[in-house]
Amino acid sequence: MNKQLTFLMCSPRGEKSASHSIGFYLTSLFEEKGISVNSFSVYQTLKIQEEIEEMIISINESDIILISSPLYIDQAPYMTIKTMNIITDSFQQGKISKKERHLFAISNAGYLEYYHNNIALKIYEQFAKENEIIWAGGLPIGAAGTHAQYPIPEFLKMLEPLPKEDPRHEIYTKPTKLLDSVIRTSVDHLCKGEIVPKEELQKLEFVPMPLEAYIEGGNNGWLEAAEKLGTTDKLRDKPYER
Amino acid sequence: MSYVILNGMYKDDSFIPRVNKMVSEELQRSNYAGDTVILHDKEIKPCLGCFKCWVQTPGICIIDDYGREVAKRMIQSDVLVYITPINYGGYSAELKKALDRSIGLLSPFFRVHEKEIHHETRYNEYPNLVVIGTLEKPNAEQEEIFTSLVKRNVLNLFSEKYSSQVIYNDDDNTTITKKIERSLAIVGEGNE
Repeated sequence: MNKQLTFLMCSPRGEKSASHSIGFYLTSLFEEKGISVNSFSVYQTLKIQEEIEEMIISINESDIILISSPLYIDQAPYMTIKTMNIITDSFQQGKISKKERHLFAISNAGYLEYYHNNIALKIYEQFAKENEIIWAGGLPIGAAGTHAQYPIPEFLKMLEPLPKEDPRHEIYTKPTKLLDSVIRTSVDHLCKGEIVPKEELQKLEFVPMPLEAYIEGGNNGWLEAAEKLGTTDKLRDKPYER
Repeated sequence: MSYVILNGMYKDDSFIPRVNKMVSEELQRSNYAGDTVILHDKEIKPCLGCFKCWVQTPGICIIDDYGREVAKRMIQSDVLVYITPINYGGYSAELKKALDRSIGLLSPFFRVHEKEIHHETRYNEYPNLVVIGTLEKPNAEQEEIFTSLVKRNVLNLFSEKYSSQVIYNDDDNTTITKKIERSLAIVGEGNE
């Protein structure tokens, strides 16, 4: 019988999010390898009891659980925690049976540095441990907003025509190719029922550009967004000042 | 001096109300004025991740519910206290729902702070932070994650002084009192 995977997409931003873009990239790779995938967008799922039950049934039947979630203030947002609590309760109520089941997580930070995700990933690991799920590892992704705008395969295609000496290869092409390679290797291991080796995941532990360059780009982005809304002069307002 | 306690307990928790009462009494003994917000009693919708609190209505969440009041109470207090059951090493969903809605307390702009990228401050002053987590029994891994999480939060919330404390459900009142006193002393005087 084919292996089954339950994908929990945990961003409130839906299709506009890095959690969606990267998560569904992984599920497409799993499907290519014959894994059957059920996906749940938890912000929608948790609104309807029948859909929660469907999610629990799917997890019960799954060999792999994949979580893709943004990072909000150093850990996953509310709805991701609530989802984990619902799953834990379902284990305790016997709605999910114990069997060899792996958890793999993707944590997506808006900050450039990957390590902002470290605590969130440790929390997923504890969630796995509490429910006797095998922790297969996680991807600590920094500057995740890039992948929200440009899914990995499209992004690599966009960068391909740039001249070899273009500096964007160093800050975009190289890290994205590496991320793609780590993702593919992770999928291979998970399909074989293996955890992803730490050395593989540690390949993502680097900062691809100077912090100042990322800050400049990010801050210009906020200014452009504010300009469109006519709020540039309000960005530093202090509405709740004592 | 003012305080606000954000109580992130779940509805069926019978231990945290006792801890909350003891924290409130200790704060009042130290001449702080304030109260507790039991978060699960309040209408607080989840953050939409829209960033409109940064660019459209700077500093104010576009969702008009108690989440706005929580953010306001947070920044207007001298001491901000979180009380939460420890969930897998992190905060409860109830506490996190409120905190997710408070990012407007920061500016959207990035800067380097402690050699890392963080947001710029929106306000001139941020409250000192006391975080109290409860666990049924000791759990070294989760306690380490919890302590690290509070430290990381402080880098983002810019509290000048902070403390974190883990209280076990079977701690007796004397132990709980000592732990609370220690936590509050840290934010009242020097930092850890």
